[in-house]
Amino acid sequence: MSFQITISPSRKAAARFVTTVRRAIQKAYVEEQKSGLTQTAIARALGVHRSVINRELRGKKDLTLGRVAELAWAMGRSPSFALPKTVAILNSNLPPVSSASTSAIVHRAVGPASAVPANNNPASVVALEMAN
Amino acid sequence: MATLLDLTRRAPPALYRLDPGLDDGTQEFRCIVCSPRLKAWIEQDLPALGSALGLQLSPLEQFFASVQTFCSDEPLTYGEQFKPLYCRGRGVWELRTPDLRVFGWFPLKDHFVGVAGNDATYIKQHNLYEGYIGEVVRFRDALDLDEPKFIPGEEATDVVSNYNFA
Repeated sequence: MSFQITISPSRKAAARFVTTVRRAIQKAYVEEQKSGLTQTAIARALGVHRSVINRELRGKKDLTLGRVAELAWAMGRSPSFALPKTVAILNSNLPPVSSASTSAIVHRAVGPASAVPANNNPASVVALEMAN
Repeated sequence: MATLLDLTRRAPPALYRLDPGLDDGTQEFRCIVCSPRLKAWIEQDLPALGSALGLQLSPLEQFFASVQTFCSDEPLTYGEQFKPLYCRGRGVWELRTPDLRVFGWFPLKDHFVGVAGNDATYIKQHNLYEGYIGEVVRFRDALDLDEPKFIPGEEATDVVSNYNFA
């Protein structure tokens, strides 16, 4: 027998997004660590105590959008952000595809009313890219 | 003796599979099954918990996100310092979010059996780690599960695949 966590679709979307952003920042930090970046250096660049950066990286402190940009800057990265249209495919484990190419497949547009958080690997939506 | 699947199919079930509700296009790569006590906690107690750290995501939402990541095929973490899984000895592991600790064990690689969970701050304030470790061990010992009942390794890579991106 199985069960699911009961949580509203909008809060599922929030949980996924917050987690995706945090993981993107952690991943960027670990990559930059290999080049010698430290939490102390980030803290110094942003004018805060190292413990603040530590708690932000670990998820023990919320991040504002501005802080995301500041962390990205301090790591030599630039944040990118997109809001791709979401389409869910019923009874399928396939990735979302455009409706124009799949007329034989039942589609359901996703919005606040239908509230089905369609796929989209969140990592493809939020990324911290190397600054040019 | 029985497999994990057998134990979820008994009446009443000895274990309940937690369906992560992954998105389209995401294959379930790791799985979580729960004791009846943990299932009741997730359904009845967890929704009422607030974030002791004052975070925008409630503990329930943190747990949902953690389950999504755990069950997907993404790396569980990046580097050595961010630990979503922590070994407490005696084959007992905790699945962690900023506000929560869920205690259980791995009978098979990528198969987590959760036994009990609670607010991390409350656990630390009342020093409840040993109590939860003992509870997991007692539940595991009493469970009619095929031997060997748990993976003894203490490295995360012993119990999960694709643990670390780095």
